[in-house]
Amino acid sequence: MTSRPVEPDSVGPAEAAHSAGSSTETPYAPFAHLTAPNATLYRQVMSVFLTAKERFAVHLRPEDVHAALPPEHRPAGPDAVVKALDSLVGWGNLRADPDTSRVTAVEDFYRRRFIYQLTQGGEAAEQALSVYDEALGRRGALQAVALHDIVTHLRALLVLAAEEEPDAAKAHLALSALTGRFEALAENARAFMGSLQRTIDLHGVEVEVFLAYKDRLIQYLERFIQDLITLGGRIALLIAELEDRDRVGLLLRLAAAREAADAAPDEADTAQAQAYERWAGRWAGLAAWFVSADGRESQARLLRSRALGAIPQLLAVVRQLNERRAGRSDRSADFRALARWFAEAPDDDARHRLWRAAFGLYSARHFTVDADTLADRAARPVPPATPWAEAEPLRISPQLRRTGSYERRGKPRRVQDRSEQRRQLAELAAKQAEEIAAARARLATDGTTRLSALGELDPVAFALFLRLLGDALATWRPGTTTTAATSNDGTMEIRLTALDDGTKAEIRTPGGVFRGPDHTVEITDLTQDIPAWEAR
Amino acid sequence: MTTSLGEVLDNRRTAEFHKAARALLKEPLLLARGPSADSYRLVRRYAAELRDWFDRNTGWSLRVDAESARLRRTPGTLADATHPAREASRAGVPFTRRRYVLLCLALAALERGEAQIALGRLAEQVVLDAADPHLAAAGVEFTLERRDERLDLAAVVRLLLRYGVLRRVAGDEDAYVSGAGDVLYDVERRVLAGLLAARHGPSLIDAVGFEERLGALTAESALDSDELRFRAIRQKLTRRLLDDPVLYYDELTDDELVYLTRQRAFLTARVSELTGLLPEVRAEGIAMVDPHDDLTDVRMPEQGTHGHVTLLLAEHLAAADGEVSRTELELRVRELAAVHGAFWSKSAKQPGAEGELVEQALARLSALGLAKRTPAGATPLPALARYAVGEAVVVESSSRPQRKAPRP
Repeated sequence: MTSRPVEPDSVGPAEAAHSAGSSTETPYAPFAHLTAPNATLYRQVMSVFLTAKERFAVHLRPEDVHAALPPEHRPAGPDAVVKALDSLVGWGNLRADPDTSRVTAVEDFYRRRFIYQLTQGGEAAEQALSVYDEALGRRGALQAVALHDIVTHLRALLVLAAEEEPDAAKAHLALSALTGRFEALAENARAFMGSLQRTIDLHGVEVEVFLAYKDRLIQYLERFIQDLITLGGRIALLIAELEDRDRVGLLLRLAAAREAADAAPDEADTAQAQAYERWAGRWAGLAAWFVSADGRESQARLLRSRALGAIPQLLAVVRQLNERRAGRSDRSADFRALARWFAEAPDDDARHRLWRAAFGLYSARHFTVDADTLADRAARPVPPATPWAEAEPLRISPQLRRTGSYERRGKPRRVQDRSEQRRQLAELAAKQAEEIAAARARLATDGTTRLSALGELDPVAFALFLRLLGDALATWRPGTTTTAATSNDGTMEIRLTALDDGTKAEIRTPGGVFRGPDHTVEITDLTQDIPAWEAR
Repeated sequence: MTTSLGEVLDNRRTAEFHKAARALLKEPLLLARGPSADSYRLVRRYAAELRDWFDRNTGWSLRVDAESARLRRTPGTLADATHPAREASRAGVPFTRRRYVLLCLALAALERGEAQIALGRLAEQVVLDAADPHLAAAGVEFTLERRDERLDLAAVVRLLLRYGVLRRVAGDEDAYVSGAGDVLYDVERRVLAGLLAARHGPSLIDAVGFEERLGALTAESALDSDELRFRAIRQKLTRRLLDDPVLYYDELTDDELVYLTRQRAFLTARVSELTGLLPEVRAEGIAMVDPHDDLTDVRMPEQGTHGHVTLLLAEHLAAADGEVSRTELELRVRELAAVHGAFWSKSAKQPGAEGELVEQALARLSALGLAKRTPAGATPLPALARYAVGEAVVVESSSRPQRKAPRP
């Protein structure tokens, strides 16, 4: 028996014949580990896989297995586990697939080799062994499963529980049907997740096969997740209702009593207790499936997150397929052919030419020309028929020609000091700002007043006033008698109300007199408020 | 007011457009992160116009996605051997046969591989691929056990890091070379997928001779109408004007020359519109010259010892009539060292450095289409005359102190 991992899917005809031959020799190879020297370790490893499978983790890495082994059976290093795993692969209990996940250290790249999962044979063996261990048969046939059925059965149980004296036969029947459905559901879910994982791992799967599968899978996932979310919640509610005041306990006892009725008279009491324990265990399993408790997630929730997690995995596969497709033709063969061409090329020059033509990764290459030469050519164009030798040559700097570099190294030029000009500008700006502030202060009316009461204005204040008046009049519409406007720079506000007493207003400035119909006016210097507002 | 604002905006737009196009012409693969991020953003902004322009005028396709911008260029001439792959270091040593082969094998392995790879694993796969009987027949073999082989692989990987095909996650290559460690990379599959610019997949070409293979790699599909033929000619000429320093008329076929003669103004105007380059049209050919002096990987004139030696040798070569032998050039370098040596680097002044200096200068001159190597030495090409510095030499030798900028 070889200890090299063999993928059943990729076994060639010759090997298939060989393995068929060997399988007739040892049809019970998956049981071989029971009699091997390290039987305890092997059995522990297999039980790790079974436990993982119940949690829908199908693939395990050697380090996972190592970590999951009970401490008293855990070997010192992962190497012993790897050896055990490879032996189990050899016997056909496990299947090994290349591990393709990303790593970040060189050692990991070499260490990670395979991930392992149960084979059908291995699983069957474990099943047989558990049957053997428990000396109990599994009951209930696997049927088509629906969460709906579970809801229906739970409802029936509730109705039964509400009765004064529940019918033992009905209770037993309903409970049996419920557990039967539930087991089938769990089994199907497990099988589904297993196959999902296998397909997603995609070892050289055909594109068409994958695409066909993808659609079905997504449909299934959609429906399944939806059912799980809507019905899962309802089921959890029903379970809680049944467990309320231990209604379900009554039913379970009834069912157990009925089951124990057939037992021999001297065993009746213990049989009933055992049967009750069994039923209670089943019920607890069902509850654990749908109800999260004690910080442990319900199986339904786990399943849901696994199913949801399958979608990004699926997308990753699609991306990988696209990447492969981006290569289109068999590039690998192309590169190998090129390698041959390079090897067979007559000389280095030929190889450089081949490199340039095949990869096209060269830079463009051009002469340069300086601005002086260009200007010169623009002024005196060179006729196209002039040979190079007769045209004006490019000017080479004599410095460059003599020394091989453009610049002689010397002291860097001093940075000019412009602080004087900067100071003047700052002074000018400060002076202007002061004048404008003064003008604003002059214009501010401190309450309503008349235009005629403004008196004489200096040119700066008058210019400001005119602009403000313009802003206010720009909002004047026929029929308005009062208006308010803010200056363009947001520094002043003006309120203007027309008077109908026919008085005239006069504003004197050094440049002349400004006349017009009188208005009441209120001018506010908005900048005055800002410091106060900021101080608050 | 509005017109001038419009003009300002127009000018800025044109300048940005030129900048985006120039970035692609200098670096046909721009990454969205790292030093080229600004150029990438610019290219992304003008992606539609650029794609349109390149597609119509050169037949190059431009792909811009969230991670990179890639202009898949095919050169206008297959004869130019002066654009080798270079080591991603300051020295920029051209790739050797072993490195080219390793590069392709590494790419083949990456193409097959997963999203991550360690250098050690890559090396294993390369060694497996290198067992190809064709490679063995050509005398290439890798075990990657010797240090120099690992150095070659490290150089290849560094080039891929520079192009953004790989991203380093942990470790460094030096540790791998010394056999002390390993390196882990993420593989950027999108960048990898756009790396090959060939029009036809090499694996589908079964030509045997090297030139046939090279031709098949870039061949256009059947040109069965005049319109298609003209378009092919136009695209080829535009490619050359965009990529190469000089387009000599005597390198063209009759058809191409006829087309160029008729459409010269149109073609050069298009290139100017894209890049801001200006045509320098002479009797022997056309050079698109760059007023900004940045759209190039080889400068002339350039500062520094090698640039200086190149300039002085160019002068010598231009003055000579026809072929100049290598011995004569080396002799000339020794003479020049006596005059200008004070400005040269220390290593350049050591006896025996002439060979290397002449080699570098000739590499630069031939890369720029200014001179052609011959078995014995080199011959000047017509455009070299644009660097004739005769008059400046007169001013220089008049021994006046250089207060005023001397004008010829």
